[in-house]
Parts: sequence; structure tokens; C-alpha cells
Amino acid sequence: MSEEKPLVAMPVAAGEITEEPRTEPAVVFLPQIDIFETEEGLVLLADLPGVTSETLELQVQDNKLTLFGRVQPPLDDAARLVHQEYQVGNFLRSFILSDEVDHERITAKLNQGVLEVTLPRVRRSEPRRIHVSSAG
Amino acid sequence: MAVFRWGQQWDPFRDLEREVDRLLASVSLSVQGLRFGRQFPPVNLYALDHEFVLTAELPGVRREDLEINVADGVLTIKGKRLGPEGVPDDRYRRQERARGTWQRSFSFPERVEDEHISAEISNSGILTIRLPRAATSQPRQIKVMDGNS
Repeated sequence: MSEEKPLVAMPVAAGEITEEPRTEPAVVFLPQIDIFETEEGLVLLADLPGVTSETLELQVQDNKLTLFGRVQPPLDDAARLVHQEYQVGNFLRSFILSDEVDHERITAKLNQGVLEVTLPRVRRSEPRRIHVSSAG
Repeated sequence: MAVFRWGQQWDPFRDLEREVDRLLASVSLSVQGLRFGRQFPPVNLYALDHEFVLTAELPGVRREDLEINVADGVLTIKGKRLGPEGVPDDRYRRQERARGTWQRSFSFPERVEDEHISAEISNSGILTIRLPRAATSQPRQIKVMDGNS
């Protein structure tokens, strides 16, 4: 067990995000995240204010986990913005998963604008004892 | 009390510094999430014909952990956002999300009807506060006396 390699969920560098196909000219923001280890694997938390389960796309392709959340403007055009501390736009962030993550068993839930993705460690098969018979 | 003001009457950078200083002072639990220097929560203010609308990004803040007060035209919102329970710090690979207790105060460019302010938090973590504009009173003419009389 001491030799165990850690699970890896590395955020993809921001520059790579421009590779994503742009379907609309909207501004895209990197959500703030936490990643922590549990007994079973890793948990990823992402702040996605304004995103609901209907407007969230989460996909795993090859070894890349991508989250994309659409955000609608809170008010119509008649509202005049008089003070701004955050911009309203979509969220996008990608992560490279190692082979230690069991891609088939990834689960996710979204609650109050926080996405929680559970990335379980691959189950290892029990070590099988091989009987060695003596020649003589 | 440091109160945030809208508009140009104060230097916005000084306001920002003051806010950040105060926020750092108020959050003793953990400051990792504040390394970006962004105020928490970030807010936007919109003006409509009959009301102001303040929106704030508050993902993961439950309604019961949120408190909103208004007094003398100053709106104060405060609350807390906790990290996941039972996760020791050494288990974190990344910690970017702000956590801890926070408080912000705002005054408005015009009078608002304190008793008709309403607030709701959506299931996607956006707080919306509606502040109806108070009816503007008629300007009162003040007669200027002749100084010699």
C-alpha cells in the first residue's frame, strides 16, 4: 500500500481551453475549485453560481473531464448596470484524469450552484495466492 | 463602520482596499480562498425605473446561513460558507473556493423603501435583493432674504 501512486486530477492549463469549440461568443470563466482526497478516491467541488442541472454539461472523453455551465443574465436589457463586481458568463474548466480514476463510476451532483464530482479510485482485484509446489 | 458607496464620490480603489482589509480581518478561519483578493461575495447593482436590484454570487450558501439587515439606508448582508465536513487540510490537492464568515454593507445612490425590500436565493446560488425606490419628494423652494434688511 505504501507504494500506491496518488490519484491525479490535474486542471488543464488555461491556454488549452481555447481549443474547445466555441459555439457562441459568450465570455467563459474558470470556476474556482477544491479537490480533496477521500478513502474512495477524489472529490472535486466547483463553484458554478447561476448554473442549474439543466444548463450544466459534464463529460469524460478519453482521460479528460470537462465541465461547462451556462449562465443566463439575471435581468433583461431594461436593467442598467450601475455597479459591477462580477461578470455574467459561462463557466468552463477541464481536468486530466489519471488511470487510477475509475471513469465508469464517476458521479456528480449539483446543489445551490456547487458541483460535486466523485472520482472513485479503480478497484484493485484481490491478490491471488499461487501455490508453489515443490518439485521433489 | 466602513460602508461601501456606489458611484464616483469615493476613490474606488481605496474602497476596494478597505473592503479586502476588513474581509481579511473578519475571516480568521481560513484565508486560502481569499488569495485572489476578490471580495466575497461579488455583487452587481442594477437600476430599473422603480427599483434597484442587487445580485450576489453565493454558491453553496444555505438560506439559514444568510442574514440580511437594513438600517438607516444601509443594507448589510452577512453569512458563512463552510468547507466539507471532516476533511482535514492535508487532504486537499487544491483549495481555491472561499470559505469562512463574511459581511458586506452597501448604501444606495437614492433613497429606497426599507420596509419593502425583498430577497431570495435561487437554487443555483444567486442572491437577488430588490429595493424599491422611494418616491422622490418635491423640491422645496427656500426664499433667500436680502442681507441688508
